[in-house]
Amino acid sequence: MAKVEKKEVAAATPPWKPKPRPIVRLGIVLISHSLLVSVVCCTAGIVALFLLPMLAKNTYISENALMPGSASSMLSNHDISEAERLAKDLTSLNSGAADAGIERRRVLAKYLSDLGVEVGYHKFQSHQNQFHPLHFFSSPDSGLSQENGSCSSYGINVVGIIRAPQADGKEAIVLVTPFNFRKNSSSEALSISIGYAVFSLLSRVSWLAKDIIWLVADSQYGEYASVASWLRDYHIPVFSASSSHNADSCFEGNNINLLREESPGRTEISSGFRRAGTMAAALVLKVTDVKGQLEDTLSVYAEASNGQMPNLDLINVVNYLAVHRQGLRVKVEKFLSVLTWEWIWMLGDTLNFIGKVAGSLNPEWKFGISTPDYVEGTATLASSLYRQALGIPTGPHGAFRDFQVDAITLEISPKVVYTNQGRRNEFILRSARLIEGVVRSVNNLLEKFHQSFFLYLLTSPAKFVSVGVYMIGFALLVAPLPLVAASLYVDANKPEPSSQDPKQKLQINFKPWKWLSAAKQVFTVHAWGVFVSLLPYFISQIPNSTPAAHSIIWFSLSTFGLLVLYLITKSPSKPQKGKWENLKSVTISAVFIGLLLMSVVNFATAQIGALVLVPACLLAQPLKLDIRTASLKSFLRIATNVFISFVAFPPAGFFILKGVNEGFGNMDVGEFWTWLESLWAWNSATYIYIGMVHLPCWVLCLQILLHSC
Amino acid sequence: MAASSAVVAILASIWLCSSIAADASGSSSETTMHTNNWAVLVCTSRFWFNYRHMANTLSLYRTVKRLGIPDERIILMLADDMACNSRNKYPAQVFNNENHWLNLYGDNVEVDYRGYEVTVENFLRVLTGRHESAVPRSKRLLSDEGSHILLYMTGHGGDEFLKFQDSEELQSHDLADAVKQMKEKHRFKELLIMVDTCQAATLFNQLHSPGVLAIASSMKGENSYSHHLDSDVGVSVVDRFTFYTLAFFERLNMYDNASLSRLFNSYDPNLLMSNAYYRTDLYQRNLQEVPVTNFFGSVMETVHTDSAYRAFPQKNTPRETRIRTGKTAEDDSRRSILTDMTKAECPFTRIVSSLESKMETVGNLDSLVNYGLVMILPVLVVSVWLST
Repeated sequence: MAKVEKKEVAAATPPWKPKPRPIVRLGIVLISHSLLVSVVCCTAGIVALFLLPMLAKNTYISENALMPGSASSMLSNHDISEAERLAKDLTSLNSGAADAGIERRRVLAKYLSDLGVEVGYHKFQSHQNQFHPLHFFSSPDSGLSQENGSCSSYGINVVGIIRAPQADGKEAIVLVTPFNFRKNSSSEALSISIGYAVFSLLSRVSWLAKDIIWLVADSQYGEYASVASWLRDYHIPVFSASSSHNADSCFEGNNINLLREESPGRTEISSGFRRAGTMAAALVLKVTDVKGQLEDTLSVYAEASNGQMPNLDLINVVNYLAVHRQGLRVKVEKFLSVLTWEWIWMLGDTLNFIGKVAGSLNPEWKFGISTPDYVEGTATLASSLYRQALGIPTGPHGAFRDFQVDAITLEISPKVVYTNQGRRNEFILRSARLIEGVVRSVNNLLEKFHQSFFLYLLTSPAKFVSVGVYMIGFALLVAPLPLVAASLYVDANKPEPSSQDPKQKLQINFKPWKWLSAAKQVFTVHAWGVFVSLLPYFISQIPNSTPAAHSIIWFSLSTFGLLVLYLITKSPSKPQKGKWENLKSVTISAVFIGLLLMSVVNFATAQIGALVLVPACLLAQPLKLDIRTASLKSFLRIATNVFISFVAFPPAGFFILKGVNEGFGNMDVGEFWTWLESLWAWNSATYIYIGMVHLPCWVLCLQILLHSC
Repeated sequence: MAASSAVVAILASIWLCSSIAADASGSSSETTMHTNNWAVLVCTSRFWFNYRHMANTLSLYRTVKRLGIPDERIILMLADDMACNSRNKYPAQVFNNENHWLNLYGDNVEVDYRGYEVTVENFLRVLTGRHESAVPRSKRLLSDEGSHILLYMTGHGGDEFLKFQDSEELQSHDLADAVKQMKEKHRFKELLIMVDTCQAATLFNQLHSPGVLAIASSMKGENSYSHHLDSDVGVSVVDRFTFYTLAFFERLNMYDNASLSRLFNSYDPNLLMSNAYYRTDLYQRNLQEVPVTNFFGSVMETVHTDSAYRAFPQKNTPRETRIRTGKTAEDDSRRSILTDMTKAECPFTRIVSSLESKMETVGNLDSLVNYGLVMILPVLVVSVWLST
């Protein structure tokens, strides 16, 4: 009875209106204040980006097993004198002779087989990087056709493999030294010396747990190509005999009967492809002559394709051993031009001041950073961000990353070109000890590198910003996009105050579909973006033309395509109220999705893209409206809009960046083409981003600006 | 009357003896003598960079062996095989010092549990003696209630746990529970637990069993550090606590009388870089009177007893050491109770034997019986009278 009564009471009270859940209410509040939110978030996002050098942490060796530097070096002067003997033998050969390259390979192979290690030659055919629109994210060059190479473009790598005496041979460490067998270069001979010194030591030691592979990569067709083709053959065995037969016939034709030669050394030189276990890590060793250095320096290059980085532990080990054991100066690449920017120094001063004030308020707060450190950090960070965003590997180590092998390039440059043999030996000793230390440390590994970070930006060789920190800036930057899109949509579909009769109300229910026409427009522009990104494939087929001509053809074809699209899809109906808002709303949503997707593929690209696209999209408003109001505010907006849309146009942005870095002196229209060509040649996702996200959004922003409302 | 008093005495002694038998379980460890020594040495960590843990354990193995515990009474558990690790510059050798004077992995090292056999389960089985029937005797801890056991553990530890094999943990209550079971099953007289890990002291928090003495390398919140790095082998080869323990024992031989308190006082917190911790509240004896060889060595007193094995013909050999070889641990402990009872001369046996000797002094057994029958008559009369 009581229950029934209660029910009646409940029914008698006026219908209870459900209060929306807190998260919904929060969303509504944010959307209704989207202007404020977007201004705050964007500012915070940009500020966060500039704070990154301050938030960088010192690197530390995360993997216990590595134990770098715990073992003393075993390298002796004997190894070095042997290595120097090899270098002399290599350089003494007459470089003018046609078969100098063959003779050098033979000398090297003899030395290696005298060590008692397995020696093999690896023939490869150099491929011109070609645009394969369908191969962007597929395995590297898996579908290359091998038939159409001429015999002249064959290179031969020399490979030595030390089998670990007590191990199971399931893992390997790779050392790579690029060497042009046809040319006499003192720095390359020096790198061979270092490589051989380490290799001859490792062939004697008993503590190897992983096999050691030394790849002397034939760099006459580029360092990357030779390493990449060796890796491909290592990982993707060819079972049909056709390709190797093809290569052999070439060699016979050229009288290079290198492979059937009698081996004078301790071990036989095999003609078959030699393999060891899975690769734990790879080090590419180069020696370069850089003038005007104060001390011997070591430059570390780590960026592989699409901004992939090797595990931070590998860089840490190298940095630790180089700095604390061998006393080398370690450098990572940085934008030198940033160091000359006055405003960066001022920003550094300000941050330094703020840090000091905070430190005086509470000694616990230690986020101060000295101004030179900040500027250096910013320059390095900018370079790190740019190299990752570009998505082009910075050295032959990039080829390893495609097979999920952690690899870096070590570029050692001596202070001066050593003429004194003693000084030269000392330089070789230090470099070789560094490599030995890294190999011994990696040899201690039990598993793949996995403890430390894979997603990071370097601000100095010993400082990094991890993904958890740098994502914040990006998240803040893109957070306003969905809010503004929602608020624009709500504004555009508000019922007009005059229409209050029930008939009108019924029509409002159908209004949500208004965004479909805007979506159609956005979709067509994106389809055009796909078309534009595919064009270079066809344009590059045109024989005998310059990059400048290519650019012009591409530009005109794209514009023509856009015009045609515009004429086809142009709706005859009069522009209605809220149309540009709808268009902007959908555009912003598309940008949001595009940026998020890109941030997963290559974060640095998304970050740089967001810096340009987010303000462009958020500020876009028909110029006509601003001209009509004609206030100072609207004038400012017009100026900003025009400026941003100019900068956001990819070629314009490219030339501005180039001009800032290298001066506006010699500009060539073809450079942009060359730059993009390198992007697609390296399968960089940045190319796709520019073609399919950035360019369409820029066009859409232009459409909004020029909207006739 | 003498006979009746004898009967009363018999009744009383039966009661007394049963009560003593019931009591024996509680007081056996106090009453039994220290008769044998065992050592359980455990290295719980894998991987090349934990070389020092294996070196720690092997050094202690060598020490206790040198001080007299035979191999069959040492259970050696090594979680990994550093000697045959491919990264070892000296194959099949393990050193605990960079001077390489001593190869710990010599010819006569008997590893009972190695590699993946070293698990928490197997460790607890060894302690509690609950093995599957197929486990050979050499892998069992066949201790009895006269045993002094040294339990040495090293590896990576934390607050109330010790890591086994990178995948399991032994928690302090697991250890306490195992020790309690051992106590219940008379598997030890005294137990010395020595742990060299980080925060080792926390591992003893739950111990309650009497007769347990515990030493830890570090207090809660402290790390135990390695002593030095062998740059030839490329790893740290020994931990500080173990290093100084070994340094103490290197000066001793089997016949030294150095006491446990001397060992405990030899640890210098400045050298250890941590504070060694001793738990003595469960231990009754005065540490100054306990020689270290009570645990780290095996100095046996030979005691003459009647043989426990009646079937054996050489029953009357004049001296026999008390090293028994029971079939199972349970058998062992049961037998030990029997032998201990004879040794302690239970009142019942004493009375029976004195009775027997008295009987023999009585010359005429028939007259004794007759007297007895006559004595029964008045008892009968009295009882009949009472019942009516």
